[in-house]
Amino acid sequence: MPTSTVDRHRPGRRLLPVCAGLLSAVAGFFALTALGAGGAAGTARAPAAAPARALTPLQAYSQQAATREGLGNIAGARPVQELVPVAPAEFDRPIAESRAYAQARLRAMAKDVDRLIGALAAGSRSRSEQLWLTAYGTYLRLGGVYGEFGQLDTAIDGTPGGLARGTANPDFTGLHRIEFGLWTGRAPDGLLPAAVALAGNIRRLEKVVPTVAITPLAYATRAHEILEDAQRDFLSGADVPWSGEGVFATAAAVAATEEVLTTLRPLLDGRGSTIEQVDFGLTRLRAVLAEIRHAHGGGWPTLGQLSQLASERLDGALGFVLEELAGIPGELETQMPPTIPALPAPAGR
Amino acid sequence: MTRLDRRAFVTRSAAVLGAAALGAGADEAIDGRGASRRAQLGPAALDEQGQRAALSISVPFTGAHQAGVLTPAQAQATLVALDAIAADRLTLQEALMALGTRANQLAAGDVNPLLEIDDPPADSGILGPTNAPDGLTVTVGFGASLFDGRFGLAAQRPLHLTRMPSFPTDDLDPAQTHGDVLVQIGANQRDTVVHALRELLRATRGALAVRWTIDGFKAAQRGLSPANSVRNLFAFRDGTANPDVADAALMDRLVWVRPGSGEPAWAGGGTYQVVRIIRQHVEFWDRVGLSEQQNMIGRVRDTGAPLGGTEEFDDPRYDLDPNGARIPLDAHIRLANPRTPATADQRILRRGFNYHRGVDAAGTLDQGLVFVAFNQNPGRQFAAIQTRLAVEPMIDYITPVGGGYFFVPPGVRGPNDWAGSGLLAA
Repeated sequence: MPTSTVDRHRPGRRLLPVCAGLLSAVAGFFALTALGAGGAAGTARAPAAAPARALTPLQAYSQQAATREGLGNIAGARPVQELVPVAPAEFDRPIAESRAYAQARLRAMAKDVDRLIGALAAGSRSRSEQLWLTAYGTYLRLGGVYGEFGQLDTAIDGTPGGLARGTANPDFTGLHRIEFGLWTGRAPDGLLPAAVALAGNIRRLEKVVPTVAITPLAYATRAHEILEDAQRDFLSGADVPWSGEGVFATAAAVAATEEVLTTLRPLLDGRGSTIEQVDFGLTRLRAVLAEIRHAHGGGWPTLGQLSQLASERLDGALGFVLEELAGIPGELETQMPPTIPALPAPAGR
Repeated sequence: MTRLDRRAFVTRSAAVLGAAALGAGADEAIDGRGASRRAQLGPAALDEQGQRAALSISVPFTGAHQAGVLTPAQAQATLVALDAIAADRLTLQEALMALGTRANQLAAGDVNPLLEIDDPPADSGILGPTNAPDGLTVTVGFGASLFDGRFGLAAQRPLHLTRMPSFPTDDLDPAQTHGDVLVQIGANQRDTVVHALRELLRATRGALAVRWTIDGFKAAQRGLSPANSVRNLFAFRDGTANPDVADAALMDRLVWVRPGSGEPAWAGGGTYQVVRIIRQHVEFWDRVGLSEQQNMIGRVRDTGAPLGGTEEFDDPRYDLDPNGARIPLDAHIRLANPRTPATADQRILRRGFNYHRGVDAAGTLDQGLVFVAFNQNPGRQFAAIQTRLAVEPMIDYITPVGGGYFFVPPGVRGPNDWAGSGLLAA
């Protein structure tokens, strides 16, 4: 697997903490042994005062296991802390850029939806499906900010999962209501009310976006969560059960992620090699998507049309980049983790 | 099929194994007297001896309540939801009788009869010519749909039994939700559970059809003491705040339906079972920082202690942390059980299992929790808790996809009694 090759060639940034962690764990363990700690699991027969080297590997393991299960980290190794917080003000520009980008996208989407309304009114199913896809893709590319839209997001992009009576519930509306109607043979003009409501919500959102509150943490987290959502909701088919357009949706999520990363790049410069690994992974993921598109004559296949090999390559390339993206929020922390106050001891203990 | 009492079963096992290897059976194998004998046997032989001894453990199946509720959760379980396809009430009654009496036989330990050689064997035989009890419990429950018009049971519906609602973050799949009858099978070995499932379906063929089924397993006890709760697939200890099943008065307040109390007469001594098949997006979870994981749960992952504490069973003392400086206000443990006088009667008895069943279309593992809870009134208890949990940050990492509400009728009076006799044979 290419994944493991890449792992082996990973630059040394992560090796250092691992070595340090190992050393302190070993040191912690020797300290414990000297104190006679652990052993509660019942296998450490060696007297407490015996030198550490007298323990068999099993005894050593048992002591460490008992310590970690019972005492956590307090007697053993402390986790390595290599964080240098980013000043929150450094996020002002990326977030402002992202809002402007989202607003432009929403303006484009309003036009997409207007065209969709026209096609639905004309009764053209194939044209309506095509325009639905365009509008959906535009919405997915909002990426960096869509987690913050709350109720409006539910009205635009909600799925029927949590609703009583599912697709029959009147609160099931928006993009997926139209998807449901188009791909299950409903009359296109019957979907007009949903499309008109959608157009209204998009214009409402366009007005809200400049003022929507986004914290640095939420924004940094979007860098990996857009594609986490793609894996959970798009490639699994969960969010696109009728159209099956999970590959298309994933490609849109890749574009949205790149948009976020572009704004964050100045902050990530000089903060370790995570971004290099992410870039490597994204390049490969884009290449896999391009191959798939090429193999299907330039269009996006539905999930059901993907061959097993293409599925595996796509899932694998996405999984790899997700493992790397998971490091981004940690690189962009704006504060040291707060110390958790100790639980007051009960009276009389 | 012949029923075998436990003493006879153990004696027979001992004879087969040789008295020297097994001694007096299950009891000696787990107490100190067998120590010198253990020292002479290698680890592999000891494992085998321990497993054989455990196979002969039989959980009593008669009493005021069904087994499998307060019984400590076994290592393995299968839940199977069945729809009643019986044409009439009598056929349904016969099927439930066959289900219950066969379950009693298997829970007691059972010798397969020898039939004519040209007939299909009476038992699949996958456990051998005898069926060791292996801690088997079979717990039967009824869904709200059983009380519709089909079998004339509408007037007998338990007071609080409804179809499980869809909670706001659910994504319920009808093919793994609800059902007329739920059978919860638990045992210590997987083959015992599989065998019981096969026999019970055979006994009810034509009257009960499988709607959905799911297999679960308990994590091994790896903590410092047997009191420590075992871990779920998010790696956190699960079940820490469970009410004490040895406290009969507490069980009467939280789990068992009291005679009277507006419930139909047959329902006293029963309980409501809530099943939720909760997919856990484990790859996503594994990509979340440990401190964020711990803040979502409210506990330290390694020890299970509430944040800021040192031991699993430390009282989190929310009263001293009103602003969530120690345990965030939306942490799972805080929303699930605020530990206030007002929420004391909302507590539930959890008895869930982890599950693993392959991968989804995106190539990610389909793993999660078969959440099982017993309570006296799902509206007052489970649903109140679930409603509070709608805002927990953990919702991004889980998707409830199935399950249902069921009513577990009271226990059986003898080997020929069966769960639901009070409802159908009354």
